[in-house]
Amino acid sequence: MGGLQVPLEHVQVLAALLFSCGLLGLMLRRNIIFMLMSLEVMLNSAALAFVAAGAKWAEADGQVIFLLILSVAAAEISVGLGLVLQIQRRFKTLDMDSANRLRG
Amino acid sequence: MSLAILIGILLVGGLLALLADRWGDGTPRWVSLVTIGVALVYLLTTVADTAPEYFNTTAAIGSDWITYLKLDWIPRFGISFELAMDGLSLLLVILTLLLGLIAVSSSWSEIDFKQGLFQANLLWTLAGVTGVFLAMDLFLFFLFWEVMLIPMYLLIAIWGHENKAYAAMKFFIFTQFSGLLMLLSIVVLAWQASLTNGSYSYSYFDLLGTTLNSNLEFWVMLGFFLAFTVKLPGFPFHTWLPDAHTQAPTAGSVLLAGILLKTGAYGLLRFAIPLFPEASMNFAPIAMSLGAAGVIYGAVLAFAQTDFKRLVAYSSVSHMGFVLLGLYAWNNIALQGAIMQMVAHGVSTAALFMMAGAIQHRLHTRDMRRMGGLWHDAPRMGACALFFAVASLGLPGLGNFVAEFLVLLGLFAVNPWITAIAALGMIGAAIYALWMMQLAFQGKPEELREFGDFGSREMATMATMMIILVCLGMYPQPVLDLAQPVLDSLQKLTPNIEAVVALTQVGVMDQ
Amino acid sequence: MNIDDLQGLLPLLTLAAGATALMLQIAFARNIKLTSFLAVATLLAATLSIVWAGESAPRFVTPLLRADKLALVFSALFCVAGAVTAILSMDYLNNRGDEPEEYFLLLVLSTLGACVLAYASHLASLLLGLELMSVSLYALIAYPDKTKLPLEAAIKYLVLSGAASATMLFGFALLYATTGTLQFSAMAQQLANIDTGNITLLVASVMIVTGLGFKLSLVPFHMWTPDVYDGAPAPVAGYLASVGKAAVFVVLVRWFIASNLFRFSILIDCIALLAILSMLAGNGLALLQTNIKRMLAYSSVAHMGYLVIILVVGSDLAHRPLAIEAGMYYLIAYTATTIAAFGLLTLLSAGKSQKENIQLHDVSGLFWHQPLYACLMLVALLSLAGIPLTAGFVAKFYLISSAVSDGRWILLGSLAIGSSIGIYYYLRVVFYMTRRVEEHKNIPEAAHGLIEKFMTCTLIASILLLGIVPQSLMEYLRSILQLVN
Repeated sequence: MGGLQVPLEHVQVLAALLFSCGLLGLMLRRNIIFMLMSLEVMLNSAALAFVAAGAKWAEADGQVIFLLILSVAAAEISVGLGLVLQIQRRFKTLDMDSANRLRG
Repeated sequence: MSLAILIGILLVGGLLALLADRWGDGTPRWVSLVTIGVALVYLLTTVADTAPEYFNTTAAIGSDWITYLKLDWIPRFGISFELAMDGLSLLLVILTLLLGLIAVSSSWSEIDFKQGLFQANLLWTLAGVTGVFLAMDLFLFFLFWEVMLIPMYLLIAIWGHENKAYAAMKFFIFTQFSGLLMLLSIVVLAWQASLTNGSYSYSYFDLLGTTLNSNLEFWVMLGFFLAFTVKLPGFPFHTWLPDAHTQAPTAGSVLLAGILLKTGAYGLLRFAIPLFPEASMNFAPIAMSLGAAGVIYGAVLAFAQTDFKRLVAYSSVSHMGFVLLGLYAWNNIALQGAIMQMVAHGVSTAALFMMAGAIQHRLHTRDMRRMGGLWHDAPRMGACALFFAVASLGLPGLGNFVAEFLVLLGLFAVNPWITAIAALGMIGAAIYALWMMQLAFQGKPEELREFGDFGSREMATMATMMIILVCLGMYPQPVLDLAQPVLDSLQKLTPNIEAVVALTQVGVMDQ
Repeated sequence: MNIDDLQGLLPLLTLAAGATALMLQIAFARNIKLTSFLAVATLLAATLSIVWAGESAPRFVTPLLRADKLALVFSALFCVAGAVTAILSMDYLNNRGDEPEEYFLLLVLSTLGACVLAYASHLASLLLGLELMSVSLYALIAYPDKTKLPLEAAIKYLVLSGAASATMLFGFALLYATTGTLQFSAMAQQLANIDTGNITLLVASVMIVTGLGFKLSLVPFHMWTPDVYDGAPAPVAGYLASVGKAAVFVVLVRWFIASNLFRFSILIDCIALLAILSMLAGNGLALLQTNIKRMLAYSSVAHMGYLVIILVVGSDLAHRPLAIEAGMYYLIAYTATTIAAFGLLTLLSAGKSQKENIQLHDVSGLFWHQPLYACLMLVALLSLAGIPLTAGFVAKFYLISSAVSDGRWILLGSLAIGSSIGIYYYLRVVFYMTRRVEEHKNIPEAAHGLIEKFMTCTLIASILLLGIVPQSLMEYLRSILQLVN
């Protein structure tokens, strides 16, 4: 590991942009599949920020956390997809707005 | 130990009453009656055993406790199970148990739903109130203070009249919110004391004489004052009282008026003023104005009521105003008057509420416009009502007169103007009491009304209360003697106003 | 890693082994009785293993986990809470058919996650514990009852909780970029050299507070709470409200102490603001609910508001021990009470009627036809309201004592106002329960097994014991604290 080749701030800004994209997607999209994808983008932007920080300190910690985040995201999404299947079966749609029996 | 056993008797009696529901329909009330009787006898015998010398000598501070008990409870915060009894507590505990008997008697045939639970709640309320009068640890005091409300809440919420939910909730929220402020004050006080003493303690004896800076002392005192005046009830905080009294079952009203209100007065006398003498004395003019306002306001509103129970409830506000006046005048005569008023008002109001309950049980209304001419149907009831009405308006020869007279006498030395205003309240009392008599008992009876007179159980209860009031009115000295050592020691805690006390030490009390 | 290290991790190992055994058992022979028995046995065994684990404590087991008394006490609490939840939900599940064996597996896994959080002394283990707990909870919400409402609650929780995790992780990444370490105690040294006004740190702390505030459902990150509790099955909602929050709070406390985050006054001010908002808004909104589950959800928001006061008080070093002690006591009392309150809802909705949303009028008259369960609810509500003789009162007293010693008058004022509002809506339930028999019609059919009765009595007894004889627990918590510092 030879440290970071580009300035850390650049990577952090990129990660922040990705994070915002994910957050916007999560808020604007109504289809559950797209919401899950946005969630994935958010998680991965955090992972990117970790990798960059790890490179700055020339330590493996950042990459280890990256792997952990990957597996966590996979677990979240697999449960999420399971729910999506059930929702498709019950509601006959994946539009979040139709699932609004709970106020709030 | 005897004090813990006293509370224990009432708690266990409550459990027994709860179980007694299975043994037969009328059993719980007998259980309850026996329990209170046993507690009363136990109290009197132990007091006579342990401290005969107490009644012979008017002792100095420190030795004026009849019995004392201290067990470690939560040493982490210096909290202990600390009970003690002096003349004042003894007087109030006896009053509590006596009115407990009267409450059981007044609910004898009124309650037909879950009698066991009713009697259990009644006994638990008594246990809580007894605890309040005996607790010497502020944490323990607060605990009893709050816990006695729960059975009382249930009494109103389950066995109350048409608007019980609203009344029970209002009662509980008023007292709980003010209680929370008192808890904050207690914690602040104990924390401040721990800064000087080096360790936490919630004991009354350790906290007496804690010095706070005057700003903090004022706020902490205010926390106590609010909690106690809400319960008393003092003038702007009384609004829960008419609702709670009106909606509560008869026994509930008797307990509320007879003893729960007295816990507020007791708290002021025992805790609020001695713990914060300076702030209290600076605050006294405001407190006395509130008292006078309560006397007048209660009397005026009592006159405007058509509901029998509401009238009595507002008259309570008026009478308890005298207690507030007497306490904050803080001289011997006024304090004796306040204590006397606590006892006399407890008995006379309990009797009036029992009367209201009896009428409601027979007529199914509390509206006095629909009564009229009851004397014709029930002469014994009418006579009792007349007795307690004139007792309440302060007829010389009865306990209430002695009490109000002493309060006004003591107050006059401190503040003649407030005395003059408060004296107007006594005129108001005459108006509403006689108006009530006229509306409910005089006049032309409605025809075709089945109206049973008082039976022997009710007459016996009424007679007991009449005897007490006459005794208090004719020969109040025993009560005054019982309270005197307590007042002496309390007044020594507030040396800065001793001048006033000395001024007003007239011959009446010193024999 | 040697044998002492493994001994320190015994509760975690027991839970993991139990989860594996459960998985195998479900794969080979589906049998709900056996599964539930195994799950309860695992949870109880993990609780007992704490006695042995305590012998090797305190020690760091790798930089990730710290096995000390704090971790062990709360692991025990979470395991017991898990076991109680499992027992209470047996009858509930029996009446909902459809092979619910995995429910118990998920419950054990979720408890494992909570215990990892109690042990965590590193951001990586924090992440793992949090996600293990949350992912199991997503599934738990939707698993036993695959109708529309739970599904909706689960997906809502998943999406929002995932977003909160991502936010928090981004904050962690920024924190790592500034400090170069992920371990709590190492972080303290790095942070000590950094100016408290550092902009990256500020952004990082805002993101982390947002993420954790969401998990603790502090206002304004509380929007999910009522919906998810409402949709989730009653036992899961109880578990989520108690263990799900307590575990996050424990790790938060440990992090604050170990990294001395108390010195960042902006962070503390933010937390104080969140506390005030939560106390007032939580209680205020609870007032408007007629659905008991939603009411309890808002009340849990308020309780978290009370609880985070201790982080604010802890910022003063002199009062930190008392504050942390108060917080731990509060957590234990809160967990017991919440499990009890939701336990009653579980028992009420266990019957064949499958009534899921218990409204206020559904409990009317409960005192007369189910006195034992009504007593449970009465005790739980009084404890939540902070009436003496219950665990909740001692906890609140503790909290007030610590806040008074630090002179946090604004927080105390909000607490007083919030609690008074609270009394109203808690007592409203009591009032409905005491209505006369003729005033109500439809009674939800309640569970009536011996086990349920036994659990009810145990819960009542534990709440009362915590409220009447708190001394020994107080002393124990105090002794723990000297070791943590």
